[in-house]
Amino acid sequence: MKYSYYPGCSLESTSVEYDISTREVFKAFDLTLEEIPDWNCCGASSAHSESYLLSLALPARDLAKAEDIESTVVAPCPSCYQNLKRVKEYVEKSIENRDRINKALEGTGLKVEGKVAVKHPLDILINELGLEKLAEKIKVPLEGLRVVTYYGCMIIRPDGSYTFDDMENPMTMDRITLTLGASVLPFTRKTRCCGGPVMVNNEETALRLSYDILKEAKEADAQAIIVACPLCHLSLDAKQPLIEKKYGDKVNLPIIYFTQLIGLALGIPEERLGFDKLIIDASGITAKYKPKKKKSNKKKTTAKAKSITTH
Amino acid sequence: MEDSYNKTAINGLDPKFKFEVIQAGGEGLSACYQCGTCTGGCPSVEDMDYTPRQIIRMVSFGMREKVLNATAPFICASCYLCQMRCPRDVKITDIMAAIKSISIKYSNSSGNTRGQAFYTSFNEIVYNLGRLFEPMLMLKATFRSKESFGYKIKYLTKSVPLGIEFIKHRKFSMKPKKVESIEEVQKIYENVRKMEAKE
Ligand code: SF4
Ligand code: SF4
Repeated sequence: MKYSYYPGCSLESTSVEYDISTREVFKAFDLTLEEIPDWNCCGASSAHSESYLLSLALPARDLAKAEDIESTVVAPCPSCYQNLKRVKEYVEKSIENRDRINKALEGTGLKVEGKVAVKHPLDILINELGLEKLAEKIKVPLEGLRVVTYYGCMIIRPDGSYTFDDMENPMTMDRITLTLGASVLPFTRKTRCCGGPVMVNNEETALRLSYDILKEAKEADAQAIIVACPLCHLSLDAKQPLIEKKYGDKVNLPIIYFTQLIGLALGIPEERLGFDKLIIDASGITAKYKPKKKKSNKKKTTAKAKSITTH
Repeated sequence: MEDSYNKTAINGLDPKFKFEVIQAGGEGLSACYQCGTCTGGCPSVEDMDYTPRQIIRMVSFGMREKVLNATAPFICASCYLCQMRCPRDVKITDIMAAIKSISIKYSNSSGNTRGQAFYTSFNEIVYNLGRLFEPMLMLKATFRSKESFGYKIKYLTKSVPLGIEFIKHRKFSMKPKKVESIEEVQKIYENVRKMEAKE
């Protein structure tokens, strides 16, 4: 299978580890990701504060470019995913809508038809690849690892016609994590906002919301929080030292992308999953789930070659 | 039309305000029956001056000045919980964003609150680079906001350790990435601004 790929701004800066681990995991299952050439920012949750039309027109340029590549575009960042999905649904709704967006694209040589599907990697892994295929490739079962899954707001909200998971109690990441052999602890704040979008303009609220999440995970005795959003990750990982200081509470909880966790179980070496990029050190976990033969194959490049040597 | 609207404007209320918000993307406004589900779930409500339910009502009533000066829309974290749960399908999160856009449009740059400064800076960066460069956003928003110089310095100093961590973990290059066909992105901004001026 081949998909067009929209990394988005966060994945090339503060969350490179999400980008590289997504690429690695997709590669391991022979799913090809072709990056949309010269893509632009989707507008995040901020373009709308200049104008609603702008919040549709910015991702429309990306969507139009994706239409030339494949029938499905994959976007790991939930904000980007929502924005692309939103303009697709807007364009599909009526001819007037489509014309309006194409008018906003006038002079760029691009036109959008709304014919590509917009999907999140979680959706692809669960519904297109399937858990059985995922299970077949596991080399290092994550037995004994206790985690909570944190979805944040944007993956399954707001209200598009297409959602791949339950809006109040999503389970896709739980099912993947369980398949990998880890245990998932009960967690009531699965979809509670982390405060990320107001981190710069309203730090008080942002830090409080993030701390609530960290505290519950800690009390649940989790060893890590598994996430799927760059902004959630930034709020919980990079801001964790600040939160600890503000609330006088030593949290020290690694925040790991679900793609990194899958990669770990597939036996992909941690350097190729970006574990070194995490601000809260996760080496306690990666050390425990190393592929069996760890020496002498450092330079080998293909995942296949490694899979033979490790089992 | 214009005139009859103006005649109904009493006590500083602006009956057109509601339509202004709808035009800016705030759909479903008039369907609200004030149940308070939105407020009940809102994670940021304790920091807001008015609750989401109140904001919706105030917009319907045409309390333009009060709404545009409220902090609530800028405290809203765009989490969409309210919008998802609203039994009347009111697009509350979109209404909050619409209010932000109107409030930014009418603020003079000297009166930039941190919230307004943040969103203006965001669009400035995307207009110039086509992509967002997060460290630049933080700096720009801080310098643009009307907070005191002392506060700004304190804020930036507090952010230094985080910046160091990012560099240590090689999270990003020091140079922002730029869209090659940046003129296309700028064209979109210009088209949108022209279209909106007409509508
Ligand atoms: S949940 Fe919907 S109907 Fe209820 S008060 Fe909020 S906006 Fe109005
Ligand atoms: S979208 Fe805004 S108003 Fe609605 S629940 Fe979230 S923070 Fe509150």
